[in-house]
Amino acid sequence: MLYYIYTLILAYVTFVVVIEFLKEKKWRNQVAMAMVLLIFILRILQIK
Amino acid sequence: MIRNHLSTIIIFLVTAAAGVIAAISFGKMHHPEELYPSTFLTKKGMLSDYFDGIKGTNGDTEVYLFDSGVEGGTALLGGGTHANEAASFLASVVILENLKVTQGRVIIIPRMNNSAFTCSDPMEGFPEYFGIPTDNGTRTFRLGSRVTNPLDQWPDPLVFAQYPSNQQLSGFETRNLNRAYPGRPDGNLTEKVAYAIIQLIDKENVNIAFDLHESSPEVPIVNVIVYHEKYEDIAMGAVLGLEMAGLQFSPETSPKNFHGLSHREWGDFTNAVPFLMETSNPSMGRLRGKTDVDLVLRGYCDNYKKAKETGALRIAYREDTGEPIEHRVGRHIMGFKELINSYNYYYPENQIVIENLPDYDLMMENGVGKYLNN
Repeated sequence: MLYYIYTLILAYVTFVVVIEFLKEKKWRNQVAMAMVLLIFILRILQIK
Repeated sequence: MIRNHLSTIIIFLVTAAAGVIAAISFGKMHHPEELYPSTFLTKKGMLSDYFDGIKGTNGDTEVYLFDSGVEGGTALLGGGTHANEAASFLASVVILENLKVTQGRVIIIPRMNNSAFTCSDPMEGFPEYFGIPTDNGTRTFRLGSRVTNPLDQWPDPLVFAQYPSNQQLSGFETRNLNRAYPGRPDGNLTEKVAYAIIQLIDKENVNIAFDLHESSPEVPIVNVIVYHEKYEDIAMGAVLGLEMAGLQFSPETSPKNFHGLSHREWGDFTNAVPFLMETSNPSMGRLRGKTDVDLVLRGYCDNYKKAKETGALRIAYREDTGEPIEHRVGRHIMGFKELINSYNYYYPENQIVIENLPDYDLMMENGVGKYLNN
């Protein structure tokens, strides 16, 4: 059960970061967000 | 506006490429390297043959059987309980690829905790692989984690209550196979693997069982043979034989109140005579410097040399030569041979006779690769 809650939270946070990534105008901030997204997406896909 | 979209697209593409590369790299860890057993292998099975509760999971692992066809005892050799201990896994592979049994049977499980080979320990900077040069090219082996992959068993509890002793340990230890014995069929994956190994020992009537390990040079339990108190004579006989071969091993009794370990629970819950051996591996120590393949294989580290010279700590480290892989693998193989010799002396009705394994001097002279098949 904890696993599913964790994945749901992660998916939500990832979604929010993706929205911010698309809205962001400064490329440096986009790079920072991309680095976070990379790890989150791998974790959602259970790749580790 | 166009510039902003362009940067978004470029960063997205770079991130996607990095993601694909990382996914491929992680994915490779889930494909165990091929092993090449000696021609005397009689059967290859899976651990799930003894407990189907682990079938289809990353906990399932290969079990190799060498049956001489001549009546005698049965030995179990386990490597890779902790997949970050290179010589533990490699010694079992060298034995698997050279062994000939002329009386009794030998069962080998090179990857006791198979799940631990599919990940690495976070924050340790361990290399993912190490290569051993052989006559036919370089063989690559995984350097895994001390514990079960969190993808297979998550989350860890804050405090781990060991079953059935209820001994309390750090939550991280809940994924440590060598704290999980005797295991249980309805437990977590690590407990199920432990349970399967106990089932194997029972069903195959294993008489003597080995669990190979490595530890940090500064840990007190290093270069040792840990034995269950019921079988002290066998351990002492082997220690004497090893001394005569020029190898010093400290005999250590398994603590009665430290539960979940193979040398304790295999002795308490099965009829097998259990032994655990440890070699000194500087790449695992807290004092180590750059953690790379060279440190894993050559085992030489100036920090340990300096630490030993201070005399402040008891450190199992050879200042001049370090602790190279051939030295560590050679010690494990010699320990395995001498403990079986000693067992045969005390249990002549259950003889196990093995041949074709390199001794320590040959291993030091020729290197590990000489004894790998590929």
